[in-house]
Amino acid sequence: MSKLTAAPTRQAVSTTTTGLGFTSMHSLLQRFAPLLVLLALGLCIGAFNHDFFDPMNLARIAVSAAIPLTIALGGTFVIQLGSIDLSAEGIVAVSAITVSMLVENSYNDNHHGLWVLAVAIAAGTALGFANGMLHVFLRIPSFIATLAVGFVATGIGTAWLSGNTIRVSDTALRSIAITRYVGLPLSVWIGLLALAIAWFVHRHTLLGRHALAVGGGEDLARLNGVRVRRVRIAIFALAGAFYGVAGILAVAQYGQGHALIADGQLFVAITAIVVGGTSLAGGNGSPLNTLIGTLIVVVLGNGMVLLGVPPYVQQGIQGVLIIVAVTLALNRSHRRIVK
Amino acid sequence: MSKQDQHTGVSRRDFIKLGAGAAFAAVGGGMSGLSFGAGQTTLACSFRSLTNPYYTAFNKGAQNFAKSVGLPYVPLTTEGSSEKGIADIRALLQKTGGNLVLNVDPNDSADARVIVEACSKAGAYVTTIWNKPKDLHPWDFNPNYVAHMSFDGVAYGESTATELFKAMGGKGGVVAIGGIFSNVPAIERKAGLMAALKKFPDIQLLDFQVADWDSQKAFPIMQAWMTRFNSKIKGVWAANDDMALGAIEALRAEGLAGQLPVSGMDGTQPGLAAIKAGELVTTVDWDPYWLGGIGLSMGLQAQQKKLQVASLPKDQRESFCKATLVNKSNVQTVMARATAPNADWNNLYARVAGPVVYR
Repeated sequence: MSKLTAAPTRQAVSTTTTGLGFTSMHSLLQRFAPLLVLLALGLCIGAFNHDFFDPMNLARIAVSAAIPLTIALGGTFVIQLGSIDLSAEGIVAVSAITVSMLVENSYNDNHHGLWVLAVAIAAGTALGFANGMLHVFLRIPSFIATLAVGFVATGIGTAWLSGNTIRVSDTALRSIAITRYVGLPLSVWIGLLALAIAWFVHRHTLLGRHALAVGGGEDLARLNGVRVRRVRIAIFALAGAFYGVAGILAVAQYGQGHALIADGQLFVAITAIVVGGTSLAGGNGSPLNTLIGTLIVVVLGNGMVLLGVPPYVQQGIQGVLIIVAVTLALNRSHRRIVK
Repeated sequence: MSKQDQHTGVSRRDFIKLGAGAAFAAVGGGMSGLSFGAGQTTLACSFRSLTNPYYTAFNKGAQNFAKSVGLPYVPLTTEGSSEKGIADIRALLQKTGGNLVLNVDPNDSADARVIVEACSKAGAYVTTIWNKPKDLHPWDFNPNYVAHMSFDGVAYGESTATELFKAMGGKGGVVAIGGIFSNVPAIERKAGLMAALKKFPDIQLLDFQVADWDSQKAFPIMQAWMTRFNSKIKGVWAANDDMALGAIEALRAEGLAGQLPVSGMDGTQPGLAAIKAGELVTTVDWDPYWLGGIGLSMGLQAQQKKLQVASLPKDQRESFCKATLVNKSNVQTVMARATAPNADWNNLYARVAGPVVYR
């Protein structure tokens, strides 16, 4: 399928085994830095509170991570392009409201089956596609195009419900967050499936490889025959599909749909992507990095409550950890300009 | 970028032209729709946003009152920006020549002074809800600053905590989720919780965390508490319904919803439904529908000189209002009121609980 089989060397987590020469030790350390940060964080928290390693707690962390992970996976592709997607919160909300409107709810008499999940993902994809079209054809920077689409999406959600909240009583949908298989709710398995799909797209499809190529050097990619605009639009639409899935998970988890259901999730997602070692400049990173980054953010939140850190210092600690993780993960020595 | 890119698609200039044309048409259409007839008083409310059920109900009450007196009504939203809130009000004062009755929930306490001064200067009548500086009083701006209405966050924080502690049997560990640290209601409600804790010596506060009024933030906090305290938790106090529901969903994921008493505040629709389902013990309904309409009613009566505000007692100018403590026994009544709201807009001071207390 893919003609580009060689792994790019700028990737932060290596997927092929490299020799353990002296020079590669350093880069290896850098590649695995996010993982090391996660392990160190886990061991520190576990040392103070042994309950951290309790299987129940690990399952809780997995549940908390499912939604941010799904959003961050979508965002990873866009960031690999060197663009940014600020529309996540709005798109997740539209998808969540779409789902809640079509299953059994407190607002209307709809009672369609679980095929509405496809409708929600389609809604997310459509908005993501809109992001891509605006960005590419009107040549608006992704920062502004996606910010605007995000506002439009939140606006759609608000107008649709006139500011109200829908309660979802559909047991089939709610069971996504409640029914457990092998100790983990279905939502976690869906999150893992999203990870597997993201990994496949990233690693084994032309789209995934081209995204990295565009992010790494758009002019070179273009000269090599990569259809840059098509790649950009497809990646934004793909990100939208992931946000659509996140919307479904949010409805299952909170039992409600409203315009602000994903408030604050955008910041968590971007933090997770960057902490995982993906550079905002584009051209590197992978879904596995994003998994590690998401876990760092979620484990930190869990750990601070477990250790009884006073709420007013939690944010400060979060900020310090982000700086530490990013410093370790990204190699800036060859970068002359940082912006 | 290659030249090829610049030739395809809509050019930016075309797009701007198109957008400007559309905007012009929309504004023109909107202006003709809003008729500010000469001599006719305009009613307006200013509040945060329409994305929130509380303000949606607030707006609905104001609309209903405007309909009952047959006057035009304009909702203004601040979207969390004090500048926008004040600028919109100034523009409306200009447009109506001061023939305006305004009911405002200021974005920030400090905004109230600017708004009141602008209204007083223009001859408009204004009431404020929830926020105002401590040293700004309605009687300093007779007769234009008609009234300020608020609720006693400390008292109601204590009421919900008391109700929760009773449901816990008066003993055991409780965890508490608060709102944004610097928010006045968050501070007041927490003070209420602390006051209730003093009255129940066998109740132990295990931990207090803040979840920024948000169910998504309350969810992982509740999860971590379950790891940290496990079966020591006998109850959960939350400073609003949304966070209480986040905690309930975290409990539900482990099959514990409805087994631990949880308390909320604000009387949102999902909160009331959770009380009915037996998952939430108590909440407080402020009745925003009533607040939205009654503020305008006071202002309009003052403007029409039916009400001599200068001669009113101070607790009717600056009042803590009565809210409804909701639990399983009265949830049906409150839900019925929320679905088919109505209020007596002429009974202005029926819900005055007392003067505002500054702590």
